[in-house]
Amino acid sequence: MGSEAPSSLPEWASEPCMMGIDEAGRGPVLGPMVYGCLYCSISYKDTLSSLKFADSKTLKEEKREELFENLKSNVLIGWAVDIIDPRELSAKMLKKTKINLNEISHESASGLVAKVLDMGVLLTEVYVDTVGDPEKYRMKLSERYPSVKFVVAKKADSLYPVVSGASIVAKVTRDQAVHNWVLDETAENMHKNFGSGYPGDPTTKAWLDDHKHSVFGFPTLVRFSWGTCTPYFKKLVEVLWESDEIDEEGSSSGNRRQLKLNSVGITGYKRKSEEIQSSGKGRCKFFETRKLEQLTRF
Amino acid sequence: MNREEESSEIPQNGIIGSIHLQSESSDEPIVDLTDKIHQLPCCIKYNGPCSVSHYFKPKQTGVDVEGLSVEEACFRGRKLQGTKITLPQGYSGFVLGKKKIAGKRKAKGAPEENSNHWEMRASFQSINYWNHDDVPSQSDSFYRCLHWLPVADALHKPVSASDLMRASSLFGVKMD
Repeated sequence: MGSEAPSSLPEWASEPCMMGIDEAGRGPVLGPMVYGCLYCSISYKDTLSSLKFADSKTLKEEKREELFENLKSNVLIGWAVDIIDPRELSAKMLKKTKINLNEISHESASGLVAKVLDMGVLLTEVYVDTVGDPEKYRMKLSERYPSVKFVVAKKADSLYPVVSGASIVAKVTRDQAVHNWVLDETAENMHKNFGSGYPGDPTTKAWLDDHKHSVFGFPTLVRFSWGTCTPYFKKLVEVLWESDEIDEEGSSSGNRRQLKLNSVGITGYKRKSEEIQSSGKGRCKFFETRKLEQLTRF
Repeated sequence: MNREEESSEIPQNGIIGSIHLQSESSDEPIVDLTDKIHQLPCCIKYNGPCSVSHYFKPKQTGVDVEGLSVEEACFRGRKLQGTKITLPQGYSGFVLGKKKIAGKRKAKGAPEENSNHWEMRASFQSINYWNHDDVPSQSDSFYRCLHWLPVADALHKPVSASDLMRASSLFGVKMD
């Protein structure tokens, strides 16, 4: 999380305050997802409305950056961001017990509320652009922070100026993060013409084509859990995970069978196709618990 | 390090297969793959060279769990946590390949691909093993495999006269 809130709490923060929360980069197949918030005293509400923060998507990039600079230098406004790394998004969504994007989003927004409250800001109203069902989301937040009144709505970024402000914070931060991204990978001929990151963007598609790798898939900038990646993976080297479950063919009862792993990596001797780990089955317990199998053929 | 080849079961002079831990062509130095062997919690259906070091970048976390120093990496979007196992003194790991047979074919016998004769292509003294999501632990079955080594040692070590003496004095048996 980052912010440039002053180290000493401004005086207005002990008056009742309002905050808006919005996200940027939820849809793109690459780069971080950013949650941003903007807060100010409720008495500042009318002035805030006059600052012409519109929904960040309707503004030009230069205009957004200009507005972000203005709000950063405005001492009557506080802001913070939570940058969720694409590696973290992929990892969470591909965990053995998968965490979906809505949950990740909710936790991020909730984290921003906690952060601002911890700083000592007297938050009384928080406006949030919804992800998933607004009422469930509102309940979840209200339970965690009973002192705060939450308004969770669709298109909150165009309804409430404080959320429009938050959307500018989030969008500019996301754009800068992608622009300044340093690729982990050191392979040759890699470039940074990512495009917008949206799956439909031809520049993004071209970048994905240029950077796919038969074994590794993609650089870690890419969200491996995105549906956009699936057609690519079908053409790359197949990778089977212990945590992957495969549907029993023709089973309507939802019968699932855990992928049997057999001799992962060590020897590549082909056995039954789904068995990719040794089991030590049928041997004494010492070997079975250690999955040590006797091998006479490699 | 994977070889996916069918081996024949035709015994040759009663020998089903053999493993040579020394490269026949001794002019090539033995490749040392210490710190470069990774055991991943998945099956990659590919055998062959790959630019691993450009893509696979493990990082030390600075965290120790059960005395194991935890590293982090990712592969195909999954978070991996792992640790380095240094093989015990007196043990080495080997990468084996089908033995190259001098000449196009052996005088009489199966072609090279069908032989079950192996030779060492590389050796290593450590393995990095990785778990998906879970931190490495001494109770991981892969880690526990190493327990077999001292057990095997105890079972197969030649018994010396003094060992026998000690054992028999323990049980009060007289030796002639």
